[in-house]
Amino acid sequence: MNILTIPLRTMRKKWVKTLLLLSVFTLSVVSIVSLHYVSRVVGESLEKKLTAFGANILVMPGSEKLTVSYGGFSMGDMLMGVTDLRESEVEEKILSIGYRDRISVIAPKLVAMTRVEGVAVGVVGVRFEREKVLKGYWAVQGAFPTAPNGVLAGARAAEKLSLAVGDSVELGGQNAVVSGIIAPTGSDDDSVLFAGLDFAQAAFGQPGLVSFVEVSALCAGCPIDDIVAQIAQKLPDTDIKALQSIVKQRMYSVHFVEHLILTVSLVILFIACCMVGATMLSSVNERIKEIGLLRSLGFSQRGIFGIFCFEAVLIGMASGVVGYFGGYALSLKVLAMLDMTKEASPSMHPGHLALTCLLIAAVSVLAAFVPSRKAASIEPSTALISL
Amino acid sequence: MLEAKNITKTFQSEGVKTPALRKVNLSLQAGEFVSLVGRSGSGKTTFLNVLSTLLAPDSGQILYQGEDVTGFSAKRLNSLRNRDFAVVFQFHYLLPCLTAQENVLLPFMNGLGPVGKEEVERARRCLERVGLAGKEGKLPGHLSGGEQQRVAIARALVKKATILFADEPTGNLDKSTGESVMELLIGLKNEGLGIIMVTHDEDYARRADRVVRMADGTVLD
Repeated sequence: MNILTIPLRTMRKKWVKTLLLLSVFTLSVVSIVSLHYVSRVVGESLEKKLTAFGANILVMPGSEKLTVSYGGFSMGDMLMGVTDLRESEVEEKILSIGYRDRISVIAPKLVAMTRVEGVAVGVVGVRFEREKVLKGYWAVQGAFPTAPNGVLAGARAAEKLSLAVGDSVELGGQNAVVSGIIAPTGSDDDSVLFAGLDFAQAAFGQPGLVSFVEVSALCAGCPIDDIVAQIAQKLPDTDIKALQSIVKQRMYSVHFVEHLILTVSLVILFIACCMVGATMLSSVNERIKEIGLLRSLGFSQRGIFGIFCFEAVLIGMASGVVGYFGGYALSLKVLAMLDMTKEASPSMHPGHLALTCLLIAAVSVLAAFVPSRKAASIEPSTALISL
Repeated sequence: MLEAKNITKTFQSEGVKTPALRKVNLSLQAGEFVSLVGRSGSGKTTFLNVLSTLLAPDSGQILYQGEDVTGFSAKRLNSLRNRDFAVVFQFHYLLPCLTAQENVLLPFMNGLGPVGKEEVERARRCLERVGLAGKEGKLPGHLSGGEQQRVAIARALVKKATILFADEPTGNLDKSTGESVMELLIGLKNEGLGIIMVTHDEDYARRADRVVRMADGTVLD
């Protein structure tokens, strides 16, 4: 038996009020925890889906651009010191950065120009399996190439060269077969032919080399600039550009979900705090006799403050534990209903549990601070006069 | 042991000042039983509250064992209320969630340290002293009004206080129960406890060593 026996016994005696308060706080914690987990999974899933619509980082060979003119004759912009990138080296170094777990797709490309039956056309060597992920919006008439010499033709290029699915075409002296034609995309993809990277490297005499590399990174947990800086550190002789507009568009969608959830969580927490505060305040008014008595028995103001705060902390801790597990279970149920359990699933972490309990206990003390202070500041004479 | 000198107290409500005590003096010797009597509004309960340090006076001195307690810090006042002074109210004010024995032990529960076996034994003896042996585990709701008042007296005794301040301890009890409470107080006085009791009942007041009459915030005789 000590000073804490008083709040413990009071809570037991007034179990209906305690249960009501516990329920309100627990429901709030359940809502917040489940919203947090669902938003995380939805955010990750959304980002993964958005990643399917193109890369957000470009790795290009380092170069120096000069604008040359002499005697009134302009030679236009000239690039100095351009060297193709070595595919294996670039890929290995990108995958060695600190944020490598955020790298979703690395899509190397070799760009070459050739003539097909006298018509000039651009050929882009790609890894089709990666391109399929990166260009999820491609609608292919026919099929993605499976044979090493298979090509995909952009809509305008196919029209220009009068190509149809199954036609043969000679690229860099090697025979290739059109396995599919990409429906118009309104981008540069429409004007070129896509060949397998190994085929293109062999056909254009550039084994192991690529012109540039497109990288798609998931940016929910880190800023894109950090990923770019880490790649630049590993590949010092390259130009690396973050396609900020694409990143911002994606992150806006992801952050919108997060901000919405955060706002809803704060509103729920605020309402719960008001409930706890109001209940504690009415409890103080109800127990003014008890406060007067305890003060007349020599209990200090700090002791009275502690009695009321302890009640709030206990309710907060209990709500934190029950609410965390309840929120986790609810998030699994919601994700199952949204059919999102395959894409990602929330993981239970003891640290999250401890953090939730501490946070909720702190919030409950904050909610009970004013009523507890009021209780502590009541002078015994005031309490006795009110009796 | 306790001496009040020139105590004044004025209450103010909505701008209206009401003097409750006007330069009141009183002294109490160790083991003395003093009863304060007077009509309602005469200032006797206010005076008792001031003497027991539950209410601060506007001016004057309260000397306890030679020290003026009106200048005490909150910590020293708490210590005084916890160890030396004990108060019994007209209404018993027991905590309904604690048993009779736990209510008696309340003065020891003023901290995080657990109440010791010795204190528990002392509480049991105090309950026995007020005639409530065997009712230690009862909740206040299961005790009669007289028994509840006895628990409150036992709570006042448990810390071996030197002065007991009783504000109409029999006011809410029937005649026979009130009689038994009075006998208990006289017994405690005989054991050396100083008592100041506020009462309306002239019969009970006459059983004290000294009767102090109050009217309009002053002591008449």
